[in-house]
Amino acid sequence: MRRTHWGRWIGVAFILLWTLIPIYWTINTSLQTDAQVTSRPANYLPPTPTLQNYAALLTADTDTAQAMRASIMNIVIECLAATIVTVLLSTLAAYAFARMRFRGRQVLFYAVLATMAFPAYTTLIPIYKIMSWLGLVNTYTGIVLVYVSGFLPLATWILYNYMSSLPRSIEEAATVDGASRLKVLWHVVVPLARPGIVSTAIITFLFAWGQFLFPLVLSSDLSTEPLTVAIAALQGRHTVPFSLMSAAGVLAIAIPAVIALLLNRYIVSGLLAGSVK
Amino acid sequence: MNSRTRALRIGAGVTALVAAGAALTGCSSTASGGGDADKTTGVTISVVLAVDPPPKATLDQFTKDTGITVKWSNVDWDSLQTKIAAAATAKTYFADATDVDWSRVGQLAKLKWFHPMQDYLNVSKLKGDMPQLASFTDDGQTVGIPFDASYMVTTVNKKMFADAGITTMPTTIDEYTADLKKVQAGGVQYPLNIPFAASEGLSTYWYETTGAFGGKVLDGAGKPQFTSKSSPGYKAAEWMIGALKDGLVAPANINVSDSQGMQTLMAKGAAASIFSDYSGNVGSLYNVPSSSTVTGQVEYIPTPGVDGVGPNLTNADGIGIPMTAKYPKAAATFIKWFTSTDAQAGFAGADGPSKVLPSYALPSRLSAVDVLNKKGSLDGGDVLATLLKDSKPVFPDGAPSWYPEFSRAVYTNLHAAAAGTMTVDQAIKKIADTANQLASGS
Repeated sequence: MRRTHWGRWIGVAFILLWTLIPIYWTINTSLQTDAQVTSRPANYLPPTPTLQNYAALLTADTDTAQAMRASIMNIVIECLAATIVTVLLSTLAAYAFARMRFRGRQVLFYAVLATMAFPAYTTLIPIYKIMSWLGLVNTYTGIVLVYVSGFLPLATWILYNYMSSLPRSIEEAATVDGASRLKVLWHVVVPLARPGIVSTAIITFLFAWGQFLFPLVLSSDLSTEPLTVAIAALQGRHTVPFSLMSAAGVLAIAIPAVIALLLNRYIVSGLLAGSVK
Repeated sequence: MNSRTRALRIGAGVTALVAAGAALTGCSSTASGGGDADKTTGVTISVVLAVDPPPKATLDQFTKDTGITVKWSNVDWDSLQTKIAAAATAKTYFADATDVDWSRVGQLAKLKWFHPMQDYLNVSKLKGDMPQLASFTDDGQTVGIPFDASYMVTTVNKKMFADAGITTMPTTIDEYTADLKKVQAGGVQYPLNIPFAASEGLSTYWYETTGAFGGKVLDGAGKPQFTSKSSPGYKAAEWMIGALKDGLVAPANINVSDSQGMQTLMAKGAAASIFSDYSGNVGSLYNVPSSSTVTGQVEYIPTPGVDGVGPNLTNADGIGIPMTAKYPKAAATFIKWFTSTDAQAGFAGADGPSKVLPSYALPSRLSAVDVLNKKGSLDGGDVLATLLKDSKPVFPDGAPSWYPEFSRAVYTNLHAAAAGTMTVDQAIKKIADTANQLASGS
């Protein structure tokens, strides 16, 4: 028994170290100058902590800082828009699949879920062609549409599980009182499913935040380029600005980290929804 | 309308959307270019490279002279290759002028993703002034024009060599190896930097070392030239792995990439030499006080060879015009200007800091190098100019179209040999097997 207890703690400690050491090292590097970062032996703590890299990225009047500011704004806009549209559509779809009975419901539902099995990369070229044909390359609309199409199946599945676990009796009572489908959805189901909707929104936002390949291909300048793409562009031809890229990395993980820490319980409940009947 | 009917309508709508999407995928347009392709003035072209833009005043002057406005995007090299491939595969416009890496020339020429430059510029006239142009030509098709002259070159920390009592620089590999041992005995624990991380830098290091041993990696048909134990390629691999096993290279180098080694070892005085360094690093890295602790100490030397000075192999970056460009003629006008003698000399600092292109290594034109040398604005200019004149393509008959797969086999297996999970013999055999397989098209 005691051995199990220790074993668990060793396992937890290992996973924590495995996860946190790279993040710590990124923060440590971001607080040093390039000269300190490349000195030997390595500095396990910043010898003279400095915020100069953050200043260079956020407040300086340079092309790099302008690119960073624009890309931060872009990523926030794209992620929020994708989250809102995804949650809206997935709520409607999940409700239909969970509560309505129509021919082909099962087939359609599994077809939607099956799209999650396709590696996203296989759709890159067709999506690029479609977006180009529609004139949506290098637009917020194009990037948001791609995010929505990518995240909608997962969001629908999470909300389907959540809504399926809600008691039908309250909805039936509202229907008996004369409420329409949409009224039942809006006034009864949505309030009850709020934790599930919040978790879906968080998961969608975090997934959208981490995107790289699709926005790389679909954006061509700083009018739409998100932070993840802009960070890669910091790399020089023959040199790597370690401390600057680390500071940009810290900025990139700051918002999702705060969201994940503050709203952790929603994420877990969302992912576990429907797993226990 | 009952819920079932409504649901059916929703289902029909979804089906229609899916069908429309599929139809669009199948029938989307090809290149976005068209009637405006011949325009050479009054247009805005998109230039996407893995370098920062030239100073605004320089680009403004180009616009004033030609009527062509340049929209510049800096995308890191790896991401840029993805964008080029995605756009070409989808036959979609993304830039009017973009990167052509020397290693992709065979692939790009075969796939016809770029316009032949001879359709727009007098390429044969350029040859005499641009020794590296050969690296951008495959099967008579010039895919891009080198805009700077990156090539592999040996650098040494002369102070460390002098501290070890070495005043005459080595001209052969045997002398070089013996000198490194003297430097080590003089107190530099690991005098040689070889980037053994499994990445492209390890492949190019081997190519350069193979050249120094007097050979080449592949013949014109793509057949491996390094399988015999007496071949230069085999000896080069043995020398590199031997340097690690003998302690001339730090054991930690097993995970060090090329740029990492330059920045953290050579520039910090932890290594005394890089056999296959980048031309331009002395001026842009080792002599920059904010990034180096060895300013004024590192110099280029003619690459040591078997019986004397060896060759220098080219790994230059070029610029070309994708097939999907909207304004290929305007892009050609830009490339002509961007690679001109005046522009290149200016980018390298001949006209003062206001015209410098950040991270620009060395002009690809001999005439521009001459301009810089006459003005004394090139670190190690005399040596670099001579080496540039004699620099050679890694693949004299053009990089094979399957180069990326071959390079992956090279760095994966040499890395494994360095890590001790296979012998040099096994690594060479695996690389050769891959080359043979790729060359035969199987």
